[in-house]
Amino acid sequence: MLAVLFASCNASRVVKPLDKGEKAVSASFGGPNIIYAGSPMPLPLTSVAYAHGIDTGLTIAAGLHMTDLAFGVIHTDVVAGINAYKSKSENFGVTVSPGLHFLVDVHETNFRTYPQLDALCWWNYLEEKEHHFYGGIGTWIELNKAKAHGEVQTNELMPYLMLGHQFEWSKWNLQLEGRFIGFQHKAEDIVVDYVPIGGQGTTGIYIGVGRRFGK
Amino acid sequence: MKRLGFFIIIGLLSSGCLRLDSFLYNNDNSITEYKLDAYEGEVEIPVGEEYNMADSVTHVFTLSSDLDGDIASIYAIYLGNIADIATDTVILYLHGTRDHLEFYWPRVKLLGNVGHKNRYGVLAIDYRGYGVSEGTPSEEGMYADADAALKWLKSNGLTDDRLIIYGFSLGSAPATELMANARSMQPSKLILESPFGSDEVMVQDASKLTLPGSYFTNLEINNADEIKKVEEPFFWIHGVDDDFLAMQTHGEVVYKNYDGSYSEAHRIDGGSHGDVPFVMGYPEYLEALEAFIER
Repeated sequence: MLAVLFASCNASRVVKPLDKGEKAVSASFGGPNIIYAGSPMPLPLTSVAYAHGIDTGLTIAAGLHMTDLAFGVIHTDVVAGINAYKSKSENFGVTVSPGLHFLVDVHETNFRTYPQLDALCWWNYLEEKEHHFYGGIGTWIELNKAKAHGEVQTNELMPYLMLGHQFEWSKWNLQLEGRFIGFQHKAEDIVVDYVPIGGQGTTGIYIGVGRRFGK
Repeated sequence: MKRLGFFIIIGLLSSGCLRLDSFLYNNDNSITEYKLDAYEGEVEIPVGEEYNMADSVTHVFTLSSDLDGDIASIYAIYLGNIADIATDTVILYLHGTRDHLEFYWPRVKLLGNVGHKNRYGVLAIDYRGYGVSEGTPSEEGMYADADAALKWLKSNGLTDDRLIIYGFSLGSAPATELMANARSMQPSKLILESPFGSDEVMVQDASKLTLPGSYFTNLEINNADEIKKVEEPFFWIHGVDDDFLAMQTHGEVVYKNYDGSYSEAHRIDGGSHGDVPFVMGYPEYLEALEAFIER
């Protein structure tokens, strides 16, 4: 049976904050890896996002999750990408991204909200190009204390490690990202066959495409 | 015009046409007949010849199952003398999500050995869309099919006090439903092996978050709540190492929520999802069932 892990449903929204006044649209494809019909595959989760450089070092991004919509779940997220550190050479920096996810379904109007906090380091490895590697850690935060049937929810965080690369051209960018999700959980005794590392959590693969404009 | 197109797309997407309900059923309807002991395909557990049932007490037949006018001819197997149903105790066995009755045939004939061979009658059905049964699987279809089995038993003289219902895995849903909300008969005892808690437990086990089941399915399987309505004696058995429906999140919740007249729990060390009778040992498994039925 296919089931979906909604956490980690898109690539990092803001790797490097936009310049002030700059805008961008992006799309993300991919998700946690599962074994389906005997083969590993990333869940085909898609989302689109709009980002605006509010100030130098502060970008607000808002996303809409299209696969969830197809299930009748309106899932949006809002993320603030904040430049926490940038080296003098501007080849290295740290971006911190607090965010919120809002979900509600059209079937029973069940509502959920999940805060998210990401922190990643990026590194421009070419002097005249903006391509950069990045890596970091993030988590969704569970606010509900009760699971189905009143059982206690003991899992307060859904953390993930991120490792990716972003190709930057004048207007376009292409983002490739791998994740190790829910690494504190053993990937056993559950209905979904994930693709874990060392028997823990699951891996995930994401592709992002973006275009900047309007600076 | 572009704006209209955008809202049409959003509207279509948000209509929620994608659901995971059909993934619940791993049915196989490629067989054309029931071969039982001669079946050479995969079966869930190996059972020795000492548990075989005589052809004279093995009856394969069809039942008519009516789901709000959607009538399907479903297949059933009865172990025992049909003429004795009016006086026998009968176990209605409701199988899991895999394949068809051939896959579960060793389990069915094992139940024909509870106490001793032919001590109790055993009725098993293939839900619609499974095996040679007509139709397409659905939650309501399963309930209708199980009720069709009850109607047949009742028409052959079975009374409520001699009816035991046994649900394994997916079969725990119709077993609990028909126990909690009696239709044609009110079974006198309930046996659940490796039961679901609910579709929402499955979602939350998979996501590790408190996501509602309604985000993914229209299923209303909710054994964990339905069991609260059950007064009759309840026997629960579950593998400690169940890798499909985890004992802790599914079975334990169902067992904890039962508040009826009598219950007993059998947590089987080393047992996974489909091998509990095998891991427990067939003699021990059969003895435990007999003791529960006879108490």
